[in-house]
Amino acid sequence: MKKTTHFAAALGLMAGLAISASTAPRAASSNDAPAAAPVNGVIGYILTDEVWAVYQTPEGKQECPEGLNAWGPREQFKKMFVDDGKKRTLEEAQLAWEAKIWHPELGEDPFPFRGPVGNVSYGVNLDGRVDADDQITPDGVKGIDNQLYRAIGCIEEFRGPTGILHFLVNRYLRDFEFNRVLIEISGVEDMVNDPHVDVTILRGRDRMMADATGNDIIPGGSNRVDMRWGKKYVQRLTGKIVDGVLTTQPSDVTLPHAIFNQIPGEDHMKGAVFQLKLTPERAEGLLAGYSDIDNWYRQLNHSWSTHHQSYGQLSSPSLYKHLHRLADGYPDPKTGKNTAISSALAVKFTQVFIQHPPKEVASR
Amino acid sequence: MRHLRKASVLTLAAALVAGAAFAQTQKSAPKEQYQRAPMPAGIQVVQTDEEGPLFATADGKTLYQWPFIQLRNGDAGDQKGKPTCTDALFKENAGLMSPYPGGFIMPDADTRLSCVQLWPPVWAPDGAANVGKWTAVKHPGGKMQWAYDGYPMYTSLLDKKPGDVNGGTRRRANRGNASGAQREPVGPPALVPPGFIVIQVATGRLLATADRQSVYSWDRDALNKSNCFDRCADEWTPVTAPEFAEAQGEWGVIQRSPGVRQWTFRGKPLYTYALSPEGRNASLQGSDVPGWHNVYTQPTPFPSRDFTLQDAASGQVLADKNGKTIYVYNCNDDAWDQQACNHPDLTQAYRLAICGAGSQEKCMQTFPYVLASRDAKSDNSAWSVMAIDPKTGRRAETGQADALRVWAWRDRPVYTSYLDKEPGDINGDSWGEFQGQRNGFKAIWYRDDYFNNAS
Repeated sequence: MKKTTHFAAALGLMAGLAISASTAPRAASSNDAPAAAPVNGVIGYILTDEVWAVYQTPEGKQECPEGLNAWGPREQFKKMFVDDGKKRTLEEAQLAWEAKIWHPELGEDPFPFRGPVGNVSYGVNLDGRVDADDQITPDGVKGIDNQLYRAIGCIEEFRGPTGILHFLVNRYLRDFEFNRVLIEISGVEDMVNDPHVDVTILRGRDRMMADATGNDIIPGGSNRVDMRWGKKYVQRLTGKIVDGVLTTQPSDVTLPHAIFNQIPGEDHMKGAVFQLKLTPERAEGLLAGYSDIDNWYRQLNHSWSTHHQSYGQLSSPSLYKHLHRLADGYPDPKTGKNTAISSALAVKFTQVFIQHPPKEVASR
Repeated sequence: MRHLRKASVLTLAAALVAGAAFAQTQKSAPKEQYQRAPMPAGIQVVQTDEEGPLFATADGKTLYQWPFIQLRNGDAGDQKGKPTCTDALFKENAGLMSPYPGGFIMPDADTRLSCVQLWPPVWAPDGAANVGKWTAVKHPGGKMQWAYDGYPMYTSLLDKKPGDVNGGTRRRANRGNASGAQREPVGPPALVPPGFIVIQVATGRLLATADRQSVYSWDRDALNKSNCFDRCADEWTPVTAPEFAEAQGEWGVIQRSPGVRQWTFRGKPLYTYALSPEGRNASLQGSDVPGWHNVYTQPTPFPSRDFTLQDAASGQVLADKNGKTIYVYNCNDDAWDQQACNHPDLTQAYRLAICGAGSQEKCMQTFPYVLASRDAKSDNSAWSVMAIDPKTGRRAETGQADALRVWAWRDRPVYTSYLDKEPGDINGDSWGEFQGQRNGFKAIWYRDDYFNNAS
């Protein structure tokens, strides 16, 4: 395993930046081509797509046979406050509804809720076991742990390509530099099989390089590391590459994630693993782990107002109950109740040249 | 520089304020100079601590406009020349905000004020003649009302003394259709040469070029002399002055090199930062380079030693002594007159719903007040120590024994969040309806490199 670091000195010094060792591998002609090792053992990628992994069949007929979830905020509000001519106060209506969102532990949830049936799901075997209630991937991998899918799989907002949360998340992922997630894989001797590589998560600070349509993020761009505000996102993992798939060791992972403008947020996963099919130009797969429920729920509601949740029949207070019902990890030492839910983000990366700041800037 | 007045020169060095280095005391802070223009009798300009020079009535009450805005399910506010703030008493919500319908009885409906009670119009005498940008427009009640640049003028019941700006802000953060139709204070144009503007941001009245690039100064320059050449000038672009530009007031022009003239402000040569992020308004990023500082016509007063600044995920937030992020509570109601509902003299129903599901006791746990230290006092009008009734969240009665002495910004208590554990945590940010902009909590940002929360 090489541990040397290559510096593209001339170009780097001209720009006043230490150009990191994220250089594309030498053999790279198509996305599917076998890849040799990067010239310096290091390759960088930039996150371009990130949605909660949802297994879908056409019109949801297989996984949501009774149809998608029908009880969103508008529908629940209308049911609770029937237009019967009776005058009601804002406190017992709108403000009570908002209070339910922000204090979901209070009160009952009387509304029907539709989750997916069957056991097919994307995800990763997080606990190393194959249990009876585990899921199976569409291509037959058993022992999958993705209970979050069982909560959100039939909610229109989370389903692609039309779910509003589904498509806006990726639009804003690309629009906001706040969301710029870089991974740098180092110590790579072989892009197809390498028993040990290091993976560093970093926060970038620049726009992504797109093609002429603006829709496809193309390899070969560069991105500077944000060491002014992004130090908290520097996370070091280890992993291995088997048959071109990078798998990292379980580790707690935090990614910056602003779903909406002006709303800095984060995704937190405990015991998270990357499982990424690598090519010299792309990396695609899953980031799977246990999402802390309270954090996940808060991130959803901080970012996504009742107005937005109404377009896709997403009722947060209802969902909260089912997140806890389905929780399967990290029991509270006092109560024994699970505090986290297994989950998987479908992620896509594109190769990028990562530019590290000079040491004196990084330490400032 | 040939024409800079001696008095201006003497005040230069101390007056320039840099980056987020706040003025030590508000008395020593420089004040923004403004363009003098004719005003109607009874209107004056008052210097305010956070918002710079603002128009005010003869007794010092700040003037506000209420610009028209399209909301999710309708619109509210004044169009030019058309006042809409009347003595109508709205008891029900209008349903302007999706997804909630109208027709529900407003909280504390029996004591809810009319628009003109909360926002008294600035009346003009019958037959008043136009004065510059000031015109008299007809209020729906029949009287004439002063308008500036077409927008009808109001004062705020929430302002008590000259310099108070408790009715709104010129800042753009938390503005838009999610936050409702808000009032904003109005002032005269800043006294800056063509090619410059002043932008209201959290750290002060920020000087920028007309294309919104922040302007910087350098410690290694001398008074009215630039030392930034060669490699320095690769990253720092002198703000050049045209040949016909002349020094005036705090503004000067120096000969940088033969035929190249550079603007100075309060004796400091001015630059823009070539490495500022493209398209980022009012950036403070150049101030991270040692020796370089943003330039303000006047800085924001820092509240007191009870507070600190902490680094967060996208910038700096105000925090208490222990590093816990400080939050402000935002609220605009959903009646046609879009009244504030985030003040301790007005209804508390909205806040209680969001932080406590109706319980003040729970709110005291989730978003507790920031208690003022025993000898705490403010040297500016934006920050104050107020007494709050812990049982209701309203302003305490005079002499109330169990009242809490809490810090307030613009006459509203500020809070921390039970969700924050470490300095820089912002877990309480955007807690509430419409991401905390409509009815909820937002962190007080002093710098935000990724979004516009500090502008």
